[in-house]
Amino acid sequence: MKQLQDLPHKLADAPDAVLAERAGDGNVAAFEMLARRHAPLMRAYARRLVNSHAEADDVVQDALIAAWKDIAHLQDGTAAKAWLMRIVSRRAVDTGRRRKSHDNLDDQPEAEAILPTPEQAAVAGSARLALNTALSRLPEEQRRCWVLKELGGQSYEEIAQALGISAASVRGRLARARTTLMKEMEEWR
Amino acid sequence: MNPTHDCGRRIEALSDYLDSGTSPDAEHIDYCPQCQAQLAGLRSLSAAALLMMDDDVASATADDTGWLDGIMANLRLESRAGRTIPLRGGELDELSETEGAVIALVRTVGDSLGGVLIGRCQLEGDVSVPGEPVEVKINVSARYGHPLPELAQTLRDAVFAELLVETELNVTAVHVAFTDIRPPVIGNGSGESGKGRS
Repeated sequence: MKQLQDLPHKLADAPDAVLAERAGDGNVAAFEMLARRHAPLMRAYARRLVNSHAEADDVVQDALIAAWKDIAHLQDGTAAKAWLMRIVSRRAVDTGRRRKSHDNLDDQPEAEAILPTPEQAAVAGSARLALNTALSRLPEEQRRCWVLKELGGQSYEEIAQALGISAASVRGRLARARTTLMKEMEEWR
Repeated sequence: MNPTHDCGRRIEALSDYLDSGTSPDAEHIDYCPQCQAQLAGLRSLSAAALLMMDDDVASATADDTGWLDGIMANLRLESRAGRTIPLRGGELDELSETEGAVIALVRTVGDSLGGVLIGRCQLEGDVSVPGEPVEVKINVSARYGHPLPELAQTLRDAVFAELLVETELNVTAVHVAFTDIRPPVIGNGSGESGKGRS
């Protein structure tokens, strides 16, 4: 047993698949390692899908609780990251839906979408700033579709299911979002 | 782009082409300046999205560093019990251990060996009936540089020995599958260089 103190190091560089298998067997340390590895991405993604940072952190927490309950059923541990992102997608969309039933006025992205000045955006390499601005101007339904697809890597079917619309609608919204984003980014150049 | 002529291809079709790399319309798309301009736009949009996500992740990591610890503390993950394995006791005792505990034991034994990190571990057979043959199947992630046959034998011996002491299972076989080889640790000499047999 003398080398058990090496376990944190072993877990730290273990691939997702091994961590997922262990977590599926009930190993809390492995799940925590997996969660810590992907939590920043989950948080960043959730922030793009909901309207406040506090809400995003709630989504991440709920997603991780759901993930722990379900990870024994994860067939392909190498896809753990995509699986976690899928759970975040669903939770975030549900959060938005719940909020929507309460209010309609606050349905705009808050200050987290940092708007650059045109000068800033014009600086070389600032495509991401231009995108950030353009994204914040998109209608909510298009923005969601685009974020789920482009940042979350979700399929049309997954997005359709999460949003409760048809896959054809997803395609349409996505196309409109992309067209607008491309046009706006062009104007910044 | 030629503003006087619209080729009529939709952004959906071009996105699909970009995603899949194929299209029944590829012959047109590949030679149409308008489509090519749209494709270039889509590509730089995706590239900008990746950069933006990198920024997002960086700030998600940087903001109030304690957030993740807070979330972890809130998770309160319950361990998994699995099946119940009976143990011999007195007439009035009902002793048992859980499958989860036995698997955790196998994990601990394996993890303590140099170069070994246990993945999935399964007990095959009816563990709820005393004396029934049980086979242990273990997935192992091994550190590069450890001879695998020797490592497998060491692990098998250690698991057999431990289960004999800590359980009443009739273990008939321990199957070891190396499912992953991790690169060697660079730098610090400590860690898993030893063979770890004790």
